Amino acid sequence: MNLRNLSILRERLTQLPKNPTLVRWWNRDRETTARIVSVTLVMCLAAGIRVWGLNQIGFNTDEAVYSGQAAAIAQAPVLSDIFPVFRAHPLLFQFLLALLFNFGVSDLAARLLAVAISVATVFIVYRLGSLLYGEYTGILAALILAVMPYHVVVSRQVLLDGPMVLCSTLTLYLLARYALTGNPIWLHAAGIGMGLTFLAKETGIILIGAVYSFFALSRDIFVRIQDLIISFVLMVLMILPFPISLWLAGGSKVGQQYLIWQLFRRPNHTWDFYLTTVPGQIGILVILLAIAGLLLLWSERTWRERLLLWWIAVPVVFFQIWPTKGYQYLLAIAPPIAILASRTLIRWLWVENPFSRSKQLSTTWIRALVGGILIITLLSSSWQTIQPATTGTFIAGTGGVPGGREAGEWIQQNIPGQATLLTIGPSMANILQFYGHRKALGLSVSPNPLHRNPAYESVNNPDSDIRSNNIQYLVWDSYSAGRSSFFSDRLLQLAARFNGRVVHTQTVTVTLEDGTKVEKPVIIVYMVHP
Amino acid sequence: MKHIKLIASLLIFFSIVTPLFGATDVSAFQSGTTPKTPIEHFIVVMQQNHTFDNYFGTYPGANGISKDICVPVSLSNEKASCVAPYKITNEPISDLSHSDVIFAKQFQNGKMNGFVDALNSLNQNGTLTMGYYDDQDIPYYWNLADEYVLFDNYFSSAHTGSITNRMFWVSGRAGREFNRIPEGGFGDIPTIFDKLQERGISWKFYIRNYDPSLNFRKLKELDYLPPQIQWVPLLSFDRFLDDPELSSRIVDFSEYYKDLENGTLPAVSYVLLLGATEHPISDPGLGEKATQTMLQALMQSDSWKSSAFLLTYDDWGGWYDHVPPPQVDDRGYGFRVPSLLISPYARKGQIDHTLLDHTSILKFIEENWNIPPLAERDAKANNFTSAFDFSGSPRPPVFIAATREVPAPRVEPRRIVIYAAYGAAMLFAFLILVRAMTAKENIQRSSYEPTLHEEIKP
Repeated sequence: MNLRNLSILRERLTQLPKNPTLVRWWNRDRETTARIVSVTLVMCLAAGIRVWGLNQIGFNTDEAVYSGQAAAIAQAPVLSDIFPVFRAHPLLFQFLLALLFNFGVSDLAARLLAVAISVATVFIVYRLGSLLYGEYTGILAALILAVMPYHVVVSRQVLLDGPMVLCSTLTLYLLARYALTGNPIWLHAAGIGMGLTFLAKETGIILIGAVYSFFALSRDIFVRIQDLIISFVLMVLMILPFPISLWLAGGSKVGQQYLIWQLFRRPNHTWDFYLTTVPGQIGILVILLAIAGLLLLWSERTWRERLLLWWIAVPVVFFQIWPTKGYQYLLAIAPPIAILASRTLIRWLWVENPFSRSKQLSTTWIRALVGGILIITLLSSSWQTIQPATTGTFIAGTGGVPGGREAGEWIQQNIPGQATLLTIGPSMANILQFYGHRKALGLSVSPNPLHRNPAYESVNNPDSDIRSNNIQYLVWDSYSAGRSSFFSDRLLQLAARFNGRVVHTQTVTVTLEDGTKVEKPVIIVYMVHP
Repeated sequence: MKHIKLIASLLIFFSIVTPLFGATDVSAFQSGTTPKTPIEHFIVVMQQNHTFDNYFGTYPGANGISKDICVPVSLSNEKASCVAPYKITNEPISDLSHSDVIFAKQFQNGKMNGFVDALNSLNQNGTLTMGYYDDQDIPYYWNLADEYVLFDNYFSSAHTGSITNRMFWVSGRAGREFNRIPEGGFGDIPTIFDKLQERGISWKFYIRNYDPSLNFRKLKELDYLPPQIQWVPLLSFDRFLDDPELSSRIVDFSEYYKDLENGTLPAVSYVLLLGATEHPISDPGLGEKATQTMLQALMQSDSWKSSAFLLTYDDWGGWYDHVPPPQVDDRGYGFRVPSLLISPYARKGQIDHTLLDHTSILKFIEENWNIPPLAERDAKANNFTSAFDFSGSPRPPVFIAATREVPAPRVEPRRIVIYAAYGAAMLFAFLILVRAMTAKENIQRSSYEPTLHEEIKP
C-alpha cells in the first residue's frame, strides 16, 4: 500500500462520522443497545429475585393442589390416585405443568415454570409501557413490576394467578395496540388473550367488564360491531377447551359442584382484607405515584389512562364485593399500576415547571432520587418477603409452608402405604398428600356439602374412623392451629384418646424477639390405634 | 498308684471329651439366638372354629368348594335330599358341635358326607354346617390373601376341639387327656416356650383382656371352663404359673403395642384375642378388626421388616370342609382350617399347598432358631418356608383395605381430550398472535403527545 492509498483511506475514515446516514445508524444502534441492555437487566433482576431461594420451602396448599392436578393429568404414580384432575378451575397452567411432569414430578420444575411465566409478564409490561408512554416508561414499569413484592411473591408460586396475569396483561397490550392502530386484528387477538386469561383462571373473565367499560366510555376509540363479535367468538373458542374437557373427559359433574360451592361459600376474610393487605405489597409509593400522575398530568389524559384505570377498577370492585377473598386475587392490577406509577415518574418531572429556573438539573436529581427510593424500597420489601418465614404462622398465598415438604417426605418414607392421616384442616392435608403420597383428611372439613370444597371428604365421625382402623395417624400443625383452635384442640383430644404417640416432629428455626433462634415444632405426627 | 493315675487320667479325659461328644447334637441348637432366616419376630394368632371352606371355599384358585358338592341330610337315606354349600348372609349362626365323636361322624372314614347328619343327630341345625362366608363377609382376610400367602392345605392337628389342638400348637403333643385339661394340669410336658426360655430367646404370650387370676387351679371353684384357660395351654402348667421367669411372659395384650413402640417385640409371640374371637356365635368381623389393628401396628413399627405374622384357627368348629384330613396318628389330623401368612418376605398373593398343621408352627420356630423338635409330630411336620421369598429385600408395609368393595368404577378422565383441547387452544392462540404481530402497523392515533422516543428528550 503506498502513501497515496493511505491518505485516501485516512480521508475516508475521517469522513465516516460525517456521513449523516452512518451517524443515524450509529446513534440508533447505541440507543437500541442501551434499550436491550436495560430490558435484559430488568429481566435478569426479575428472574433473579424470583429464583432466589425458590425451592427453599415446599409447596403451600394451593401449589400442592395445582401440582397434584398436573400430576394427575400426567398420570404420575400414586398422585394420580390421590388428586382429581378436575377441580374448580380451568386447566391451562396445569396442562403446561403436566407436559413438564411427564418427565417426572418436581416441585422445583413447577416453580421454575411459574417464574418463567412471571418474567414473561414483566417483559409484556415493558412492551405495554413502551407502547403507551414510551421506552423509558416501559422499562421503568417493568422494573417496578420486577421488584414489586406482590408480583414477586405470588408469581413465583405454582398458582394460577401468575399465568392469569400474564394472559390478562397480554390482553391489555393487544387492546392498547388496537386502540393505537385501529387495526381489527389486534381486537381479535385481544379476544384470544381474554380467552387465554379465562383458561388460566376463570375469574379473569371479569376483565371483560373493563374492556366493555373502556370501549363504552371512549368516544375516541371506534369499534365496529362485527369486529367485536369476531373478537367475542374467538374468546369463546379459546374458552371452549374448559367445558369440552369437562364434558368429554368426564368431569362435568365436578365442575358444576365447584360452581355451586364457589357461588355460595361463606366469606373467608373481613371486608377490609384487601385494603390492609394488598397496598403494602404493591408498594404505597407506587400507588401514590400512580394516583399523583393521574392528578398532576390531568391535562395529558387520554384513552391510555382510561384503559389502565378500568383494568384496575373492575377487579378491585368485583373482588371487594365478592365474599371470598384471597391474597393473590388482585394481582391483575399490578401491571397497570406499575405503568401508571412509571408514567408519573417519567412524564411528570418533564413537565415544565414555571417556578424552577434550573429545571433540567433538579428534575434529573428528583427523578433519580424518587426512582431510587421506589426501587430500593420495593426490592427490600420483596427481599424480606421471599425469605423463609420464621414465625411459625402463615397466610395463604404468601409462599410455601415451612416444614410441610419435610414432614410429607418423612411420611412417604416412614408411614405404611395406604395409611390414612387426619389433619386439622384440608390445607395441610393437601401438602402432605402431595409430598407424602398418603391419603389425608381434614378434620375441619364441613359435613355440609354446601360449606365444603367438593374435592374434600368430610370426616363425620373421627372416633369411629380411628376405632375402625380407617385412620391411623393424626397430624397437628401450628399453621392450621393458628386459624382454628377448636379443631386443633379436637385433634389433640383424639390423639390423647387413642393412645397417640408422637412418631415425628417437624421443626422450623424461629427467631425470637431477642434475636435468639430456637427450633419450633410446626408439624407433629401422632400414631394412633384403637 | 499307677492305676490310680491311669484312672484319674481317664476320668479327666472322659470328663472333657464326653460332654463334647454328648453335646454334638445339642450344640447345633445352642448356637445362639440369631435366627436362620431374616425373620426375627414371629407372631402367631390362633383364632377359633372355622374351616377353610367356611372362610375361603370360594376364594379363586384355592382348593375350595366345587359346584357339585351336596352333602346328604341323612346318611340312612343319602339319596333323599342333600344340602349344597350356601352363602351365609345374615343368617344367625350357632356354635356347632365339634367333638371327636362329631368329627368321626362327619369324616365317615374319608367319605366326608356326614356333616349334616352328624349335627342333625344332635338336634342341631345340620344345614348350617354347609354355610360359608365370602369376600363380602370377611373382606380383610380376603384382601390379606390377595396380598400375602393363603395356605389351603393346613389342617388342625387333632380331630377334636380347642384344648388338644392348642396343646399341639405349644408342645407338639395332644396332652394327657383328649381335649380335657387334667386336674393337675399338663405337668411336665415340654413346650416350645421352655425351649425358647432355655436358649434365651425372647417370647411372650399375649392375651387380650388377660385376667391373671384365671388358671387351671381355679377350675375347681368354677362350674364352667373360661375361654382364657381353655385357649391358653400355658395356664394349665404349674411351672408357667409359679416360675416368675415364665409367668412374667404371659401378659396382657396391651403390651403388644408397647413392645412394638419400644422395639422390644419378642422373637416369638403367641396371641389370644379374647373378646375378639371368631368362635361362633361371634361375628367374624370382630376378629378381623382386631387382626387388622395388630397388623397395622406391626407395619407401623420397626419390627415389621423382620417379622412374620401367622393367623390360624384351632379347630374346624363343626363346619363343612371337603378335603379329607390325612390321619397321621390316632389323634389327627382334623379338618382343614384357614391360615394366612403375612410378612414382608411372604410371597405376594400365593396360595400355598404345602401340607401343614399346627405343629408346622413349631417346626418353623425350631428351624429358625435352631431348637430340637419337641415331639414326633413337629419333628415330622412340614415347614412353611416355601411361603417366603428371602431372596429380595423386605416389602415395604402397605395397609390392607378393610373392605372388599369394588370401588365404583372411577371415571378416569380422558386425558387425551385435555391435552388435545388445551393444546389446540394454545396453538390457535399462537397462530392468531403471530398473524397480528406480522400485520402491517398503521398507527392511527397519536393523541398522546409526545409519543415513544420524543418524550425522553426534555
